[in-house]
Amino acid sequence: MKLEIRGLTKRFGSFTANDHIDLTIEPGEIHCLLGENGAGKSTLMNMLYGLLEPTEGEVLLDGEPVTFETPGDAMAAGIGMVHQHFMLVPVFTVAENVMLGREQTRGAGLLDRKAAADLVRELSGRYHLAVNPDALVEDLPVGVQQRVEILKALAGGAQVLILDEPTAVLTPQEIDELMGIMRELKEQGTSIIFITHKLREVKAIGDRISVIRRGKVVGTAKPTASEAELAELMVGRSVNLTVDKAHVTSGTTVLEARNITVVDPRGHQVVKDVSFEARAGEVLGIAGVQGNGQTELIKSLLGLVRPDAGEIWLDGKDISKHGPLQSLEDGIGYIPEDRSHDGYVGSFSVRENLVLDLFRNDEFSSGLALKLDAIAANARDRIAEFDIRTESADSPVSSLSGGNQQKVVVAREFSRPLKVLIASQPTRGVDVGSIEFIHKRIIEERDRGTAVIIVSTELDEIFALSDRIAVMYDGRIVGTVSPDIKREDIGLMMAGAHEPVSGGAA
Amino acid sequence: MRKTARIAAVATIAALSLAACGERPTDEPETATETPTATETEPAEQFPDFKACMVSDSGGFDDKSFNQTSHAGLEAAAEKLGVQTAEVESQSPSEFDDNIAEMVSQGCNSITTVGFLLGDATLKSAKKNKDISYSIVDFAYEKAPANVKGLTFNTAEPSFLAGYLAAAKSETGVVGTFGGLNIPTVTIFMTGFHQGVQRYNEDNGADVKVIGWDPAKPKAGSFTNDFESKTIGQQTAEEMITQGADVIFPVAGPAGLGGLQAAQDNDAWGIWVDTDGCVSAEEYCDILLTSVVKGMDVAVEQAITDAASGTFSNELYVGTLENGGVSLAEFGPNADVDDELAAELEELKAGIIDGSITVG
Amino acid sequence: MSEQTTAPKAEKEPEEQAPARARDLTSWLPTLVDSIAAVVLALVVGAVLIVFSTPRVIESLSYVFSYPLDFFEYALVAVWDGYRALFTGSMGSLGAWERTLERAAPLVCAGLGVSLAFRSGLFNIGAQGQMLLGALVAGYIGFSWDLPVGLHALVALAGALVAGGLWGAMAGVLKARTGAHEVITTIMLNYVGRFVMLYFLGKEALQRPDSDNLLSPPPADSARFPELGSLHIGVLLAVLAALAVWWLLERSTLGFEMRAVGANPDASRTAGMSVAKVYVLAMTLAGVLAGLAATMQVLGKGDSLTDQVAGTVGFDAITVALLGRATPLGTVLAGLLFGALSAGGLAMQGAAGVPPELAQVLQALIVLFVAAPALVRGIFRIRGKGEGSGVMATGWGA
Repeated sequence: MKLEIRGLTKRFGSFTANDHIDLTIEPGEIHCLLGENGAGKSTLMNMLYGLLEPTEGEVLLDGEPVTFETPGDAMAAGIGMVHQHFMLVPVFTVAENVMLGREQTRGAGLLDRKAAADLVRELSGRYHLAVNPDALVEDLPVGVQQRVEILKALAGGAQVLILDEPTAVLTPQEIDELMGIMRELKEQGTSIIFITHKLREVKAIGDRISVIRRGKVVGTAKPTASEAELAELMVGRSVNLTVDKAHVTSGTTVLEARNITVVDPRGHQVVKDVSFEARAGEVLGIAGVQGNGQTELIKSLLGLVRPDAGEIWLDGKDISKHGPLQSLEDGIGYIPEDRSHDGYVGSFSVRENLVLDLFRNDEFSSGLALKLDAIAANARDRIAEFDIRTESADSPVSSLSGGNQQKVVVAREFSRPLKVLIASQPTRGVDVGSIEFIHKRIIEERDRGTAVIIVSTELDEIFALSDRIAVMYDGRIVGTVSPDIKREDIGLMMAGAHEPVSGGAA
Repeated sequence: MRKTARIAAVATIAALSLAACGERPTDEPETATETPTATETEPAEQFPDFKACMVSDSGGFDDKSFNQTSHAGLEAAAEKLGVQTAEVESQSPSEFDDNIAEMVSQGCNSITTVGFLLGDATLKSAKKNKDISYSIVDFAYEKAPANVKGLTFNTAEPSFLAGYLAAAKSETGVVGTFGGLNIPTVTIFMTGFHQGVQRYNEDNGADVKVIGWDPAKPKAGSFTNDFESKTIGQQTAEEMITQGADVIFPVAGPAGLGGLQAAQDNDAWGIWVDTDGCVSAEEYCDILLTSVVKGMDVAVEQAITDAASGTFSNELYVGTLENGGVSLAEFGPNADVDDELAAELEELKAGIIDGSITVG
Repeated sequence: MSEQTTAPKAEKEPEEQAPARARDLTSWLPTLVDSIAAVVLALVVGAVLIVFSTPRVIESLSYVFSYPLDFFEYALVAVWDGYRALFTGSMGSLGAWERTLERAAPLVCAGLGVSLAFRSGLFNIGAQGQMLLGALVAGYIGFSWDLPVGLHALVALAGALVAGGLWGAMAGVLKARTGAHEVITTIMLNYVGRFVMLYFLGKEALQRPDSDNLLSPPPADSARFPELGSLHIGVLLAVLAALAVWWLLERSTLGFEMRAVGANPDASRTAGMSVAKVYVLAMTLAGVLAGLAATMQVLGKGDSLTDQVAGTVGFDAITVALLGRATPLGTVLAGLLFGALSAGGLAMQGAAGVPPELAQVLQALIVLFVAAPALVRGIFRIRGKGEGSGVMATGWGA
């Protein structure tokens, strides 16, 4: 089925989210829609899927103009969509989820579960989507849940499949598997619209790439285009994908962890006897696959989790028993790994979030009273300094794009003198332009003499920023190496192997 | 969805049109509908210009208890005397003043307030409006103003008879009673009941025990501390039945219904209070021996009649067996009270009326 | 039909939409439009109820096809009379205004307490119990102590605030220390509060001389709130309380912490705030405000103590707070509305023909429609900001 979009426009009040978008998706094509967060990709797809009504323009299927008032209309016409946040009932089985909304019954209103299970088996056989129809969705890993979503769309007869940021929630292995599935679907004649902002992925899988910026299609590219070219199209200026940083000689030890052990509420030792030191003017990268104790380790550094054994020293002072408030006052800056969970208050304005841990300072309050003028001035300065894209300082942070939300957190942590900066996944879910900016600021902070600790599961990020790399596996630091080490070697360490001899220990 | 709604609407209209093709009662003059309480037959004396009003306490007029019974008195007065009526339900004690004032502004000639909680508010309003006759259910003033009449009830008297009857019918030799709250208007029943049982023991050399209340130990009775929860009433009664009681006398308003439920479930007898249980709690009629009736409707109707006919006085009304303000209801259908026992009860009643037996 | 989609997204990319936080109570709150729509809808349904509870209208239904105008005329007259009485009884005269204000004052105070707790992430069901304790102390000081005019009222007022505050603090401490859910503890403390009241009412010291009724003497005149005209100054205190709560929430560091903890306790803890401290403080202040509400009845109206002295104010306060979207101004407006419904409902009862329950039914309908915004939106076809957000109720998962 050939899908054409002609002059599709969507306005929200005075804001134009999509401005005369023209796209053609050929049958059996993987068409990548590349754009930064907030560029208008999702608005476009929501119009295609009947969730939003276009202000102008039309959609043609095989040359026939169509209008969708509801997602049901779109599905009936053969358009399926997999949202990033899955729309599955966790306590239902795969088969039940797939048949949801088109329940087949046998006589007397009994659900025909067997037919549904058979359908799932048939589809998963045809497209090589291994899923057990009788498994409960809540028991399945995220990657498999996504397959269920794809199955649902296929069961609805989808010939054009929209995948909205499908890789954001997946592990690297799961991403590889998804790409395999996409190729399989393509071979069977299904067209795929693949929405993402990750350059590597579009190059790996795309047949054609359309780049959207600020609601407009700004260009199309072939997958052979270089990442730098694509990034430039996407951001609208040339982007530096590597971090410029001078080599520095590291200074004195600022923060020292001695034999930290953390036991989680279920009684498992999640951090096991970890020791390291962070030095002034140096970035210590903590690499590791998600869930190997990094989260708990850095929480214990701030005092959010009390270590069950071990000591934490800051500038020659034992801070093991300090809570977050004291740790912040001691000069620890903290960028949590899940910003929406721990980093900001979504319903609070940008202005308020920028002083979330600073409002007690004399600068922003006297006695009980907040100094609103000072808080507003601070917001003005930070928004300008960190290029936070927001309608106003009054907008709730939840209305910002991921990159800008992260900039709010980063700006806040950088607005007081720091001895140590602890940043966990500082660029997760952040667009290219913002990644570049945040990385630059982290290096600037290092150059100012701050001891920086970066926790990341993305090796690219670890290599780009670190002066030394500690690798965590199963709650331990299995080795500390220099960033000259080979990617494969560090990959082995992340899987539990010990420090390679050739690695050049730091 | 929309289609269903449309079909439903069509069906409704069709049904309505079938029912609605009747004729207008054209002979009826327009004004007749404005006084719906006016009756067409004219018994005894009529006071169409008199307005009798009532303010409930926070229980409301549908409490199946004293508000409702008092309200029945107002309705009876409206029917028999042809008086106009108005009424207000209270939500909370802070509204009492306003609610009585509202009745005053409606031009009421008599205002009946229900329950001792309205004592202050009634007095306050009565002092301001000397031309209105006030009566208050379940409350007695030490010095009532000329336009306020307290309506009280010596429920110990019929409870005494009920106690005697309970003791006579008990096979286990144990009878139980419990109250809603340890307050005088409740415990007066229980005390009368207790005395009736003692009287039976004396007269017949028996040893029937009362559990749940002993007037000698006024702090130790069995109370649900709740007038609403049938469940708590049922639990309380079930405990008593486990201790051997086979007659239950609950004095706890709607919560007492739980007591009757427990009796019904366990083949025990029950005795109801305030109203005739065979009327107000029909489903339990089969296990009722009798009911101790507090004639609040009688008293309210009397107070309104007095006020309308100009014979109102501030003298405290006390409902007794003698004036019929309190009574024992007819025996339950299965109570099987033999003539001898019935005669004994009549004798006791006569004794209470002539003062040879003191109760309370 | 049963396609389970969530709110369509506007210009945002999906991953930036923070998943709805079940812990953020404020996401329950109705929008301003919801609140107004709920009130309007309740009045409409109320009108239907008036129509069909008026005997004359019902009678005219039996011949509606022969004389349709009768039905409509009677129905209109019934609705007009009922709502006119509602209006004049609540706002039609100075006296009506006074009545409305005096009934609104305790609702506003207790509602502010519920709102404050709500904004701190706590669902305070315990205003009733907190009020009872406040009333108990205010009443006892009011009739048994002998103090000069003015000072007496101040001491009784302070006593009520302290007692209510302590009662509220208990739930806060339980939550902070043990994690016990405040909904459960505050409901239980309501029961405990009632029995504490009953226990003391059973004591000689709280009963009237020569009476065993569970009814205390009224507060001494010296302990009563002074009156401006015939309006007691408790009404003024309620306004001041609203201003204070507004300042606290919007302009103070404490309020900043409360709102932050209420919206995202994890981020607040990470930002160095003490979530436990905020919980205790919020519940204490909520109790203080409920205690203030109790003084409206005892020291303002001069009610004697009974176990019903708080009426249903403590529970209505929850509705008031929700309807007012847990903001001080909203709570004041919702309190006024409920005060007006209560005062006007009285007039509706007085004017024959309207069933006494109607005012309560109106309140109940408002609650229902506030609680079911999807229904109200469906009826009014309200679209969210732009068409983009929150039109459909969120489905499952996500």
